[in-house]
Amino acid sequence: MAKIVIPDSAHAALNELRTADIVVGIPSYNNARTIGHVVQAAHAGLLKYFPQFTAVIVNSDGGSSDGTRDVVLSASMQDARLLMLSTPVKPVNRLSVPYHGIPGKGSAFRLIFQIASNLGAKACAVVDSDLRSITPEWIDLLLRPVVHAEYDFVAPYYHRHKYDGTITNSIVYPLTRALYGHRLRQPIGGDFGVSQRLLRRYLERDDWETDVARYGIDIWMTTVAVAEGFRVCQSFLGAKLHDAKDPGSDLSAMLQQVVGSVFTLMQEYEPAWSLISGSQDIDLFGFRYDVGLDPIEVNLERMLVNFRRGCEELKEVWQLALSPETLEQIDLLAAATASPATFHIEDELWVRLIFEFACAHHKRRLDRGTLLRSLTPLYIGRVASFVIETRDLTAPEVDQRVENLCLTFEALKPRLVAQWKGSAGQAPRTAPEAAIPQHVAAQKELEV
Amino acid sequence: MIRTLQEVLERVIARFYTQITTYLPPLIVAVAILVVAFLFAKFCQWLLTRLFKGAGFDRFLRETGISSVVDDSGHLHAVSIAASCVFWLVFAGGVLSALSVFDTKLTTQFVETAVFLFPKVVTAGAIVLAGIWLGRYFGRAILVWAHNEAIPHARRIAAGVRALVVCIAIVAASDTLGFAPNVFLAAFIIVVGGAALAASLAVGLGGRQTVQRFMEEDTRHATEPEEPLWRHL
Ligand SMILES: Nc1nc2c(ncn2[C@@H]2O[C@H](COP(=O)(O)OP(=O)(O)OP(=O)(O)O)[C@@H](O)[C@H]2O)c(=O)[nH]1
Ligand SMILES: [Mg+2]
Repeated sequence: MAKIVIPDSAHAALNELRTADIVVGIPSYNNARTIGHVVQAAHAGLLKYFPQFTAVIVNSDGGSSDGTRDVVLSASMQDARLLMLSTPVKPVNRLSVPYHGIPGKGSAFRLIFQIASNLGAKACAVVDSDLRSITPEWIDLLLRPVVHAEYDFVAPYYHRHKYDGTITNSIVYPLTRALYGHRLRQPIGGDFGVSQRLLRRYLERDDWETDVARYGIDIWMTTVAVAEGFRVCQSFLGAKLHDAKDPGSDLSAMLQQVVGSVFTLMQEYEPAWSLISGSQDIDLFGFRYDVGLDPIEVNLERMLVNFRRGCEELKEVWQLALSPETLEQIDLLAAATASPATFHIEDELWVRLIFEFACAHHKRRLDRGTLLRSLTPLYIGRVASFVIETRDLTAPEVDQRVENLCLTFEALKPRLVAQWKGSAGQAPRTAPEAAIPQHVAAQKELEV
Repeated sequence: MIRTLQEVLERVIARFYTQITTYLPPLIVAVAILVVAFLFAKFCQWLLTRLFKGAGFDRFLRETGISSVVDDSGHLHAVSIAASCVFWLVFAGGVLSALSVFDTKLTTQFVETAVFLFPKVVTAGAIVLAGIWLGRYFGRAILVWAHNEAIPHARRIAAGVRALVVCIAIVAASDTLGFAPNVFLAAFIIVVGGAALAASLAVGLGGRQTVQRFMEEDTRHATEPEEPLWRHL
């Protein structure tokens, strides 16, 4: 089992609690401003929807200096306002524990899972502490499929602004969908429900001290669940409104952790993904409705400058990972940044590029950290292209674009498999491009 | 008169004769050794190429990035390089044994030095190669880091780092050779010190304005509230 990570201070509390049926975990790091609302929502949700269960809210804190932990323990509940159908039989306990070890979201999750496992919880949900749109229903939606329908993993499904979740839309969702054949729309959403069985599986794994300890955790949880055949579903949660990213936060580090985790897991689960083609829908619970979303500002000009600078500076690194054809096309794109209105990175080029990065990572053409970090300007370029392309599009139209990208990922997958297994550094020229489904081709014509 | 001439001539011929009789046989042996060594070396080269052809050795080197140390284009054929190394090694061994046939003070000394120096040369070569590899490794890492941090002149910084690492490797290599390490160390210090001096002079003298402008630009960048590209990932 994993090295013990529960700090001594929490042991007394755990001994007192002894067992719990449900654990709701909230990771935090300087979230005093928003965590009160999240704790209240979780508390209310547990009282309202799981009154007959013993439940604990566990806040796993990464050493906040803004009083986050005090807020967790003191956020008051106005029980009267909750329209309870039945009086709760069991109280909801709260616990705020600091974790030790590698700083990061994953380490926070590890402690939550460890505590849930020690308490023998049947189900565990985790929710981000910067959420503003969380309601008590979320707790129900994330836990009910586990508690009452024997699902092992509940992923979130929300409406997000078209420029929110761009790592999800441009890389993680299409890639995991093409790899494992499950249409899990928010694989790194951050809010999940997990069964005891899957929780134990997570804890017995030995890769906790990698990028999984940081932002790799979300995709790691999702991938382990789908690749190892656990029962997965999604719950519709409405809108995801959360805090803007700290401007000082390091985009390339986050990208490295998330994409690095996807690539590393590809290695382990090669037998699982290499035979899959196409994809299938995943059960979706909850009642779908439309929502208004916070607008998101983007600085297109700076994105394009960043992309062009990357093309000028990082070619010698990309050379080790990308095929000459891909490099050539990137060169053309660098020149195209001069006219932002028409700048466009095609789906097919993007897919090939991601596949080539995955293979370079697999074959260790160069240091993996360097490889992954060199993806940043390319990713920024792709986001810029997406922003330009979808500027005047409505949410459903944008969804269709993402869907098209997914289909391209799926269509080019044979190429990935060949490149991954093949000895030659280059992709076979017999391009399976021809295999791009008719409707994508038709769609492209319509766009022109 | 004629007599004396004849005597001189006879002496010359006698000396020449003794010289021929002492040196010709070893010379013939030496040439024979050389020829045999050459043939044997060629054979070794051929054998090695044959044995490792298609053994995936090249691929291994390419994928571990070792081959990029020598040749960045990735068209390196490690087997043929290793084979020619073996050829030259065997052949050099032949040359040394051929020399030792003469058994004079000079040749003995030469052979001894060569044999004594050989492991050191190999070590020094390995150190330099490792330096090049490390230089590449760090150079790339620094390049990507500097790019992502939006540090200007990322490529030049990376090239500098690469050169520095290689310089250090060369100093270390010359040290193992016992080959005037002080000269290299001094050169190294002069280069680094010179660069620093040049930089400070540039600030102090002519380059002042340029540098100032550069710094101003930099601080302007820094004081601009660094807005993120977009707020969510
Ligand atoms: N304990 C702990 N929690 C963290 C750490 N980093 C992030 N978190 C928590 O993880 C949750 C999500 O973090 P965010 O930074 O908002 O990441 P995100 O929402 O997935 O990413 P964006 O979509 O870019 O906003 C929040 O509840 C954070 O408090 C950390 O280092 N330690
Ligand atoms: Mg967030």
